[in-house]
Amino acid sequence: MNARRRILALGGHDFDRRAGNDAICDLIVELADSPRPKICLLPTASGDPEDQIARFRRVFAERDCVPQAISLFRLGENPVDLREELLEQDVIYAGGGSMVNLIAIWRAHGLDEILRECWAEGILIVGQSAGAMCWFAGGITSSQGDPAVASGFGVLPGSLCVHYLSEPVRRRRFLRAIASGELEPGLGLEDQTGALFEDTELSETVSAREGAAVWEVTPENASAREVELASRQLKDSRPPINGTRADILELRQTLATRAARRRASQRRPGRLD
Amino acid sequence: MTGAMRQVVAFGGGGFSQESGNPLLDDYVLGLTGTVNSRVCFLPTASGDADHYVVRFYNSFRDRARPSHISLFRRERGVPDIRSHLLAQDLIYVGGGSLISLLGVWRAHGIDSILREAYEAGVILCGLSAGSLCWFAEAVSGYHDEVNRVPALGFLPHSNAVHYCDGTRRGAFHRHLLDGMPAGFAAEDGAALRFVGDELVEVVASRPEARAYKLERRGGQILETRLATRYLGAEAPDNVVPLVRQAA
Repeated sequence: MNARRRILALGGHDFDRRAGNDAICDLIVELADSPRPKICLLPTASGDPEDQIARFRRVFAERDCVPQAISLFRLGENPVDLREELLEQDVIYAGGGSMVNLIAIWRAHGLDEILRECWAEGILIVGQSAGAMCWFAGGITSSQGDPAVASGFGVLPGSLCVHYLSEPVRRRRFLRAIASGELEPGLGLEDQTGALFEDTELSETVSAREGAAVWEVTPENASAREVELASRQLKDSRPPINGTRADILELRQTLATRAARRRASQRRPGRLD
Repeated sequence: MTGAMRQVVAFGGGGFSQESGNPLLDDYVLGLTGTVNSRVCFLPTASGDADHYVVRFYNSFRDRARPSHISLFRRERGVPDIRSHLLAQDLIYVGGGSLISLLGVWRAHGIDSILREAYEAGVILCGLSAGSLCWFAEAVSGYHDEVNRVPALGFLPHSNAVHYCDGTRRGAFHRHLLDGMPAGFAAEDGAALRFVGDELVEVVASRPEARAYKLERRGGQILETRLATRYLGAEAPDNVVPLVRQAA
């Protein structure tokens, strides 16, 4: 086992074919540096939705990985030894969602300590959005509604703000927090960009979407200063499939809701605990 | 609202989550609100706010109550003021799932203290599985392939076990009682414990065979007493709101 301690923080990533997302999956597999990497998704921050897990499995199975997901909400149905299971991985991917919930749930299950151990053992930690900010001293969460400063686990020093230009209110809150000293200086990551940390040092920044950048944000004269960092450009290995039209999305949403209603009316009693 | 009657109805299992086509437990809790068009807020936190669960809740309650839900995973899309929303309810209905995750998320958002406030203001609290266990001082909760003792919110000073149909949970409950866990109650699927204040006032069931038990330590022994249970399907109790039965 190599003991390079690495965290790849992503500013916004999904397991689909929108521009840049494929290239980021390729980067993760490359960094995993194993013939058939075992990669485990922790979708805790969004409440372990099945569709996210299915998309994750698909994109990494087609890259010859061994994908797996651990649902902390369904341990009753699928009991696993969390520590043993996670220490066997090459990569652990923390999904996005609510940073406040992520931190609360991981602490309640003791997962923060286990993941720190995984990181120290050289397992590549990847996180996007809430799953990225949680590793830093602090970040900007929208878990409570309006963007607010939140503390992370502090495995990495400094702060992180995700979805940097796509969520302007979040960015403004970040700039204010850096200017006032509420947050330590840090990085602003746009969607489809990433920052790779080795030990606790920033070793490289990457951008997988044209025009998307990583920003270094520091306080300056009671204000904040943003400097674009030079990032390695990543290319999708196949043509991206970008945005779906809003009316098509609405149709899909309606169909999905109807299907859920139908399933609900046919559902047999299950066991929840 | 009758003022400060503190009430919890703890289901061992059942209700719309697990007994589709059998509305008896849900009708029972709606009947306790004493109003025809009750405000019912669903907290699906223990399931990770699973969309299918939220849809099932609305499908089950939209014709006989004023339903709403609170998602703690998607706060930006929900009610702006959780506290005033919860305090305005007649009934707060907590879904099943992971007790540990539920408690972690509630504490992070301060929901535990809002629920305490709602409880003391007379809002009825109910739930199944994790949504039952959460109200007690200690829960015998199954996860990680073994049965564990988990400190919960403690609105009720007792201990609690749900889905009390298998020997593993029974064995664990007895063991924990011998280890000093407070005395408590266990309910099978389909049985519900109604508390007013700290006192158990009634056990009801949506299935004729569903049972509940009181468990306490007497010296080195565990005394497990089967509780008298009222089957809700035998006749329509007076306090149940006439229901609109959904097609199965």
